[in-house]
Amino acid sequence: MSEEGYMLLQIGPQHPGSGHMRMLVKLDGDVIVDFIPDVGYVHRTVEKIAETKLYIQNIPLLEKPILNDSGNANLAYIIAVEKLLDVEPPPRAQYLRTIMAELSRIASHLYGIGILSILIGSSTGFMWAFGDREIFIHLMQMMSGARITYSYMVPGGVRRDLPDQFREEFRKAARYMRRRYKDYEKIIIKNPVTRARLEGVGVLSREKAIEWGTVGPNLRASGVAYDVRKVEPYAAYEDIDFEIAVREEGDCYARLLVRFQEIMESLKIIEQALEKIPNGKILAEKYEKMIQPRAKKLVEGTGRIKFPAIYVNLKPPKGEVFSRVESGKGEITVYLVSNGSPKPYRLRFVTPSFRNLLTFKNLIPGHRLADFPAIYGSLDYFPPGADR
Amino acid sequence: MYDLINYLWETGLNLLFSPEIFEPLVFPGLIAAFSLLIVVIWLERKIAAIIQMRYGPYYISRHTEGALQLVADLLRFLFSEVIIPKSVDKIAYVLAPIILFAFTFLPIVVIPVSKDFAAIDHEYSLLIALALMTLYSSFLLIVSWASNNKFSFIGGLREGFLSLSYEIPLIISALSAAVLFDSFNLIEIVEKQAAMGWGIFYNPLAAIVFLVVIIYSTSRYPYEIAEAESEIVIGPFTEYTGILFGLGMGISYIKLYSMSLLYAVLFLGGWEPVVWPLNLHPVLPGIILFIKAFIIVAFSVFLRAVYPRYRIDQALRIAWWKLFTLAFLSLLFSYGIKIIEVMG
Repeated sequence: MSEEGYMLLQIGPQHPGSGHMRMLVKLDGDVIVDFIPDVGYVHRTVEKIAETKLYIQNIPLLEKPILNDSGNANLAYIIAVEKLLDVEPPPRAQYLRTIMAELSRIASHLYGIGILSILIGSSTGFMWAFGDREIFIHLMQMMSGARITYSYMVPGGVRRDLPDQFREEFRKAARYMRRRYKDYEKIIIKNPVTRARLEGVGVLSREKAIEWGTVGPNLRASGVAYDVRKVEPYAAYEDIDFEIAVREEGDCYARLLVRFQEIMESLKIIEQALEKIPNGKILAEKYEKMIQPRAKKLVEGTGRIKFPAIYVNLKPPKGEVFSRVESGKGEITVYLVSNGSPKPYRLRFVTPSFRNLLTFKNLIPGHRLADFPAIYGSLDYFPPGADR
Repeated sequence: MYDLINYLWETGLNLLFSPEIFEPLVFPGLIAAFSLLIVVIWLERKIAAIIQMRYGPYYISRHTEGALQLVADLLRFLFSEVIIPKSVDKIAYVLAPIILFAFTFLPIVVIPVSKDFAAIDHEYSLLIALALMTLYSSFLLIVSWASNNKFSFIGGLREGFLSLSYEIPLIISALSAAVLFDSFNLIEIVEKQAAMGWGIFYNPLAAIVFLVVIIYSTSRYPYEIAEAESEIVIGPFTEYTGILFGLGMGISYIKLYSMSLLYAVLFLGGWEPVVWPLNLHPVLPGIILFIKAFIIVAFSVFLRAVYPRYRIDQALRIAWWKLFTLAFLSLLFSYGIKIIEVMG
């Protein structure tokens, strides 16, 4: 890659616009002719480590690669474990999981919008999105007690019940976010410079998106109305009425708009979930029985689960399962094999960023160097998520 | 003995307050520019912080809302090590930013502070100022070339492209002001404006083009292309550290300041109106000039909070299609006004 007349530019891993990733860009003047994303800088051997840990210990482990959308990563793993254990969480827990997953999606989208904004130079978009993300982090903190890695869902249910002030706080947050959307419209969405930078840039056609296996909002921005929440409903999505945000253009701007649309849609989903949420237990009967009598009082009083001892020694029967959820960045897939021991025999964890890598690689050539950060940001590509 | 001291004091004071020394060194030159630098960077960060719902500079001198933050930053730059990489052209690497900084100041020397106070009162002072402004990009190219870094090189190349495209609208729109006021002498231009009214009202087209060119040429958003952080780190100054990097940070602000002074002289009536306490000394009307320039500078830095940045090809298209055409139209507009004046 070092022929005469071309410039080989190494962007990252120590570069303000690269993220945790090394990327080789071959330039012909200002136009990129070849692009190699060199993944693996933040590879953490998550899948191998998972084989050495107990099922319950893998919950925080799998959250960490997709740090900005850990609610959904958590959910994907828990669904797989529950399939192995053959446990059905109670309906209230299903609704709580839905609320958590949607809050996590909003936070993830705001993160992506913020990164896209700073990559095309809009510091206001960056600060606003990251500031507003804090509100949803606060809501998730109310639910789970943690700011970033929630570990909210456990096999058979969730860790905590909905706090009393949550409804009121969420109503405020939804009102605020809807009002803020108008501000975002002014400063980012309808900003002439943003439109000049994003419209018609990095166009991903419908056919190519399917061919390259693109997932998530990037796929939906190319006109494919595919959403795991609709195709294979999990948690409480079956009972909830929502629309898939789809756009036809397939360029960076469409991807930005789809993210904004999905934030608005997620607010509606949470509102519905809060309306429809049934009363009842938050942990499956099977495990709740095993909570010690003394701890039971605490659980009933505070709505916080004190783990029964069996969680240390969960031994699913032999078998292999497959689960998938629609996270903020796209589809998360977990493939779990059990050989009857308290540790997984094999865990395959496919993240959306990894699946969007091919799209990322193929989309860049032919664009100008300045378009590189725009496409990178618009794909919401998260290197730690891809490397795992 | 006393007489001698008195004599030295008098001549020293006279020398200091002679335009040739006072202008470049004190006002509107070095000292004024440095204080403006400190205030403007603070203001830029504070305005952006308010819009972005955060505090901005805060910890250094809390009572003044962090106004001394930049002084602290400059001190840090002064004391941090200047690392000279092995691969650079050492002489050019060290000298180019210093010379660049000095040359960015030069246009200020020909800008008069009031009608009796100018370091260089020349028949063609407008042309001298414009010519000195064009030196900027050539030295920035040397900076980027000497660094021997790909990001610096791309940044320098971008600056080269941009300077080719903005200099023509800059000069044409300045010339349309010269046509309008029938003079290349900046003092005469202000005198004419005192009689006729401000240039911005006579030829708003030229005023707009010049303002956009100011923003364009000093790397303010949305034209912050030569040092686009997410693409090419910090452009030409990627390899720089310590005080040399600090100089690089300040250069575009100094350029912004000198261009804003010229803008105030050409289109905003310069130091007019000279009212009572200002007519006591020929330096004092400069305060008005400074305030006008400051407003332009503040507006330019405010745009950071509003716009992302353009791509280089888009910026070049804007310069060659829109700015160039508008600048040319503004020149015709000025001629039109002159013809109307002569006819009627």
